[in-house]
Amino acid sequence: MRRRSRGGTATEPRGSALYEVLKGIDFERRELLDKPRGVGLFDLVKDKGGSYRCYACTLCERTCPVDCIEIDYCPEFEELPFDLEAERAAALATLPGESCGANSACVVGEQPAGFVPEIDMKKFDAVVAGIRSGTGLVQALHSTQEAYGYLPRVALENIAGEMGLPLSRVFGVASFYGQFRLVPVGKHVIDVCMGTACHVAGAPLVVEAFSQELEIPVGGTTPDGLFTLQTVNCVGSCALAPVVRLGDDETIGRVGPNEARRLVRRLRKAEVPA
Amino acid sequence: MSARRTNGREPADAGAARRSGDASRTRRAGRIRRAFKAAFDAGAYIADDGKAEIRVCAGTACHASGRAALRTAIDKALADRGLTDKVAVVETGCHGFCEEGPIVVVRPQGLFYPRLTPKDVDEIIATSVVSDGIVERLLYKDPATGEPVAHEAEIPFYKLQERVVLALNGKIDPYSIDDYLAHGGYAALARVLEDDDPMAVIDEVEAAGLRGRGGAGFPAGRKWRFCRGNPGDVHYIICNADEGDPGAFMDRSVLEGNPHSVIEGMTIAAFAIGAQSGPVEGYVYVRHEYPFAVQRLRAALTQARERGLLGEDILGSGFSFDIRINQGAGAFVCGESTALTASIEGHRGMPRGKHIRTVAQGLWGQPTNLNNVETYANVPWIVNHGAEAFAARGTATSKGTKIFSLTGKVVNGGLIEVPMGATLRHVIFDIGGGMLPGREFKAVQLGGPSGGCLPAALLDDPIDFESLMAAGSMMGSGGMVVVDDTTCMVDFVKFFLKFTAEESCGKCVPCRIGSQRLLEILERISDGEGTLDDLERLETLSEDIIEGSLCQLGGSAPNPVLSALRYFRDEIEAHIVEHRCPARVCRPLIQYTIDPDACTGCHVCFAACPTDAISGERKQAHVIDQKLCIKCDTCRQVCKFDAIPVVDARPALAEGRQR
Repeated sequence: MRRRSRGGTATEPRGSALYEVLKGIDFERRELLDKPRGVGLFDLVKDKGGSYRCYACTLCERTCPVDCIEIDYCPEFEELPFDLEAERAAALATLPGESCGANSACVVGEQPAGFVPEIDMKKFDAVVAGIRSGTGLVQALHSTQEAYGYLPRVALENIAGEMGLPLSRVFGVASFYGQFRLVPVGKHVIDVCMGTACHVAGAPLVVEAFSQELEIPVGGTTPDGLFTLQTVNCVGSCALAPVVRLGDDETIGRVGPNEARRLVRRLRKAEVPA
Repeated sequence: MSARRTNGREPADAGAARRSGDASRTRRAGRIRRAFKAAFDAGAYIADDGKAEIRVCAGTACHASGRAALRTAIDKALADRGLTDKVAVVETGCHGFCEEGPIVVVRPQGLFYPRLTPKDVDEIIATSVVSDGIVERLLYKDPATGEPVAHEAEIPFYKLQERVVLALNGKIDPYSIDDYLAHGGYAALARVLEDDDPMAVIDEVEAAGLRGRGGAGFPAGRKWRFCRGNPGDVHYIICNADEGDPGAFMDRSVLEGNPHSVIEGMTIAAFAIGAQSGPVEGYVYVRHEYPFAVQRLRAALTQARERGLLGEDILGSGFSFDIRINQGAGAFVCGESTALTASIEGHRGMPRGKHIRTVAQGLWGQPTNLNNVETYANVPWIVNHGAEAFAARGTATSKGTKIFSLTGKVVNGGLIEVPMGATLRHVIFDIGGGMLPGREFKAVQLGGPSGGCLPAALLDDPIDFESLMAAGSMMGSGGMVVVDDTTCMVDFVKFFLKFTAEESCGKCVPCRIGSQRLLEILERISDGEGTLDDLERLETLSEDIIEGSLCQLGGSAPNPVLSALRYFRDEIEAHIVEHRCPARVCRPLIQYTIDPDACTGCHVCFAACPTDAISGERKQAHVIDQKLCIKCDTCRQVCKFDAIPVVDARPALAEGRQR
């Protein structure tokens, strides 16, 4: 295994200082292979005609994790090298219907087949009231989930409308946070704690036991809509590890795989109409 | 309150008081004093530590071990005896001794009854409440001596701690502001408002050497000074209660047990940063997974507003500050300051570069001061007792006390507050009671997924910010997970990497892809298919991730890997070279067998096996069909005779390699 030389890189300045040293040198790109990081510079790609392909959309500047790209005015560029509006219009024209940013059907998707409960829009009034009183998007999603147990697409659309945000933005937030669910949950939600203490005490075996007994993967819901199996990062009851939370109220400590199977069987039995 | 009334700021001589500025200041101070007294008297509450009282711990852990049923039984037993009006039942915050829950303390004697069930209640009330006896059978027994210990204060777990932040946890009712006021609460805020000198508060906190308790340990006073110095339309004061580290629960316990101390600390910080320079607003960013903490904090905020201790014109001082609660939604990265502010603003919780710090441009682009729950909870104490008293505890660079949540394979799991600089051995063995019987200490993991595992050789190291950093771990928020010889370090590190790989926000490639690749290499090793080259690959990849990541989630994600390589290389190499898991955890390398001599043929494992892999007649030794066995560990756990040993799966191969 080749080991990269790192001697001194932590103390020597990089980036702009190196640029001063290297700016006159015409680098052959392939010479940079196998060199330590920091000796090369990023350049803009030119088309055959000699014009820059970059149209200063600033995306690279905004997403660069270490903020090493800065877009600035440069006298060497010809003025208006790129007609941004025309390009954008052309790009939109090539994608008929919904394109990114407006209403991203490609990511929101349709509800997967399976257990889908009725959606009572009356419950949504509380969410709207919350939004109008000035709570943020995350809080609105929380109260939606409290009302429905998950985030139905129609609710996301309404939140987007109410807050004046693109649906893609609402969906982006909803899918970022681990606690928000985009699919309906069953009657009994089983949260298995996967914190460190629970892991050490054997939580993976417990999850597996639940998964086998319920015949669903983590995150899944049984076809009869009775059980949903989830994991949670830490419920903070580490002294009782491994911990399982049933619904919002009940927390059960010191659960092994055998207890897990029995719990499912007990809950199933209680559901069978006498 | 008037203990330190002698500094130069007070108008001591009558000549100075005659000047108009001083006169108005005196009037203002008088106004605040009267308002504070009114807030105090509003409840007509007298703290009486001598009255009969039953305190039920209502922390999350005790709730999980049956607090609600216990409370019902106590209420019923008191009602049966007609004592409902005479004996108060108080639901307190976390007592910290979570291992022994549910906990009940009978006052005024201070009798400590752990692990109670509803049927024990009647006996306790008959013996300890109605008369003055002790139910010996239900007392806590010191695991070292086997002797019962009657009083809470005498239990080694509590006796050896120095509780500053947790001093009132378990003593006061978190739903009662009167209880907090009666125990000296909000006195620090009233003093600060009376003195009307924000810079003096900052000086005091800086002199105390209070460092952020959330992980990085940045001096709080300096942060406040920077934040105050930055111009903005509004200054924001944020309390980070997004305790995402799995295995850490001290912030939750402080919020659940003593929410007013955090509110008071935040208000003092708000005054120090924002008074005389513009409006200030506060946020508490709390995990949604902590419903009790949110509920109690919400109640506490309402009460504080009712008493004029929060909101417009606090205690008639002209200073206004209010706090809003913002709930997280299960993203570990939101503990990072810039991700946290993005989350409050309603965005995905992704960090940004910190070339502009949050103290200059944080929430909504305004100067923002962000501290952790424990940091704020320390502030009232510093104001009340002075910087010197605070700095007297701890080491040269790390002052004060720190709360740790001790969990894992120790006897006494729970919350432990000790001065900085205490040794790991003191915390784990003296207070924590050491390892479970028959088990050997292997490692202690500090700092959650960003920290590292420290071996037995480092047990005598002091716990402070610098020592831990040098040892390849970190303070983190104070989670301390002890593992014994049944935990495989490869599996343990794999767990942390899986966590960070899942929680990576996805913004930077080194963290997003790198942690995934680290995890894959570890999985390969754990499957017994790793090579020695993999170890070097782990190291270089770790360095690249640390260097190339934007925030501390990526920057510290490889710490568990690096610390395991540093201290537990032998064990990792055993997986690679000998295809053997010394702790017998990694599934491809182990197999479950039945010891025919120990097996009594009781059929318990036979009934429990989910795949019917166990066969055998009653009263005869059973056998496991290795083809059907899924290694779920159920049989080993249900066996009462220790007849199911776990052995190396490839003994022939391992022996061959050894030769």
